Amino acid sequence: MSEFLTFTLTGLGTGTTYALVGLGVAMVFQVTGVINFAQGDFVMIGGLSFASFAEAGLPEPVAALLALLITTVVGALLNLLVIRPARRANRERLVILTIGASITLEGVALLVFGADSHFASAFTGGDPISIGGARLPRQYLWCALATVVAVVLMWLFLTRTRPGTAMRATAMDTDAARLMGISPARMSLLAFTLAAALGAIGGIVLTPLQPPDASVGIPFGLKAFTAAVIGGLSSPVGAVFGGLLVGLVEAYATGYISSDYKNTLTFGLLLLVLLIRPTGLLHRASVVRV
Amino acid sequence: MSDDALAAAERSATSVLHAVLRSRWLRYAIFLGVLALVPAVFTRVPFYTMSVGVLMAIQAIAALGLIPLTGHAGQISLGQAAFFAISGYTSALLTTRWHTNALLAMIAGMALSAAVAYLVGTFIFRAQGQYLVLATLSFGLLVSYLANQLPLTGAADGIPGIPALAPFGFTISGDVDMYYLVALVLLIAVIVVDALLRSPVGKALTALGDSPVATAAAGVSIAGLRRNAFTLAAALSALAGSLYAHWSTYMDPGQAGILSSVQLLIIATIGGQRLVWGAPVGAFVVITFSEASKTLIPKVIPQATGNYEIVVYGIALIVILLFLPRGVGGGLIGLAGRLARAVRGREATAVD
Repeated sequence: MSEFLTFTLTGLGTGTTYALVGLGVAMVFQVTGVINFAQGDFVMIGGLSFASFAEAGLPEPVAALLALLITTVVGALLNLLVIRPARRANRERLVILTIGASITLEGVALLVFGADSHFASAFTGGDPISIGGARLPRQYLWCALATVVAVVLMWLFLTRTRPGTAMRATAMDTDAARLMGISPARMSLLAFTLAAALGAIGGIVLTPLQPPDASVGIPFGLKAFTAAVIGGLSSPVGAVFGGLLVGLVEAYATGYISSDYKNTLTFGLLLLVLLIRPTGLLHRASVVRV
Repeated sequence: MSDDALAAAERSATSVLHAVLRSRWLRYAIFLGVLALVPAVFTRVPFYTMSVGVLMAIQAIAALGLIPLTGHAGQISLGQAAFFAISGYTSALLTTRWHTNALLAMIAGMALSAAVAYLVGTFIFRAQGQYLVLATLSFGLLVSYLANQLPLTGAADGIPGIPALAPFGFTISGDVDMYYLVALVLLIAVIVVDALLRSPVGKALTALGDSPVATAAAGVSIAGLRRNAFTLAAALSALAGSLYAHWSTYMDPGQAGILSSVQLLIIATIGGQRLVWGAPVGAFVVITFSEASKTLIPKVIPQATGNYEIVVYGIALIVILLFLPRGVGGGLIGLAGRLARAVRGREATAVD
């Protein structure tokens, strides 16, 4: 029983970061109508640059801030160099563009960071915490804390500030927002930048638990897509729920079957969700951007 | 040369251009000619070999299905390599373990891939939007992980010793024989897909990509149409996969990798997604580029690995999509059309 509880808690812990990254997918999709294939690469870049700075001897908070900064700049550049010049293109061309951006980023990461995994120690030392017989390494709490803080900040931004309101307006009705003087191109830039920041935070807090290498972008992206799709690509609550579900499936698969089949099962989960309810598990509405 | 002779030469060149743009049988004949010339050229030019020629033709067949699916129906598939692998492994297993006839094994592989695609398509196209790309991404990763893990597929070792093809009693030995066989299959596939795009079904498919709502309003089942285009794409990639298995005599999990699917998408995009010619043109350009970079990059940067190739692939894809949205093939045809019109315009003014 304590085994089950351990798997559940670790699953929920990693799941919070998948939720965070999934929120980025949902946000970009809402504002631009594009599924951003490079979302997982934000996680990869955030994690790798954090670990590399930490390995180089920088204090961890500085390393984390630098990693966050680098990743958000990459997100903004991705939007400015790849998405904005093609804004008249139809959606499938935009999606293929993000696929191109994703493999470019993976290649660049291989050149910059090499093919090996990079490591960072847990944010705080100390023994794992005992909860009802289960033992939970402290880093999982950092994952959950980072997610809660990021989600609250995001919520405040979206509901309490003018740019946040403008972004929600663009998500609801791009044409109406444009008539109100909101620039969809600028909102798209904002969405990509914020999504990159969310991805980076996920990558940074996960680094001590899952040492990243340059190839983790696609698997991370897929987990984030799964989280977002479970929420119907539109609901932040759904994305959080989806992320937690992915984390749990992964933890149970690793614990009860074998870590070899961990990825196979999570990839199967997305396929299953898409086949059964492509518009999300949570709500009945099937109105999706064509 | 006198002005008259020059003008005459220009006129005849223009009329040839017009004829090529107008008659599809002439285009097929030219394509046949180019395919037939490849062995003569590739055996004399540095770094092109016959095995590169076979690979180009196989990749062109695998990418061909993306023309109707992505270029017309507007749906992206990242599962082409998975169907390629499913069929390749089916051929490999049936011929090495149960000594099935190679043609039967190939048909079985294509049927299996098509059936899986039909099933996935039936479910996934119930919803509007770019869900196929997500579903095929997870499907592709699933197939590649399973190929790496299942004892049936030989896990990481793959399946060696796949026999060579022997259609109608001719044993295919060597790359030149294989090239002629694969080129013939490619030619037939191009003609069939081209005919399909010209048919009413093809017109509906094109309309679907332009406006799904208007197409549905015209009484066409858009889900059914998308599903059929996806099934066709899977079957073509499966055909290529079985041909590959018999040619290389070895199937390994790398064939199912997601990068292979991305490469097929790159081939169709760079060649031009709207016309059937995009697949062969794209396969030629992309594989030439990849072979060239394998030999050239280490000379420029001695310690370079394959990683530079990925970066250049990605950037090439982005640049082509941004500046040449119809691809290299589409760009060439657009240029030919503009040239022909310009000359005709000049003649018209001269007559006035």
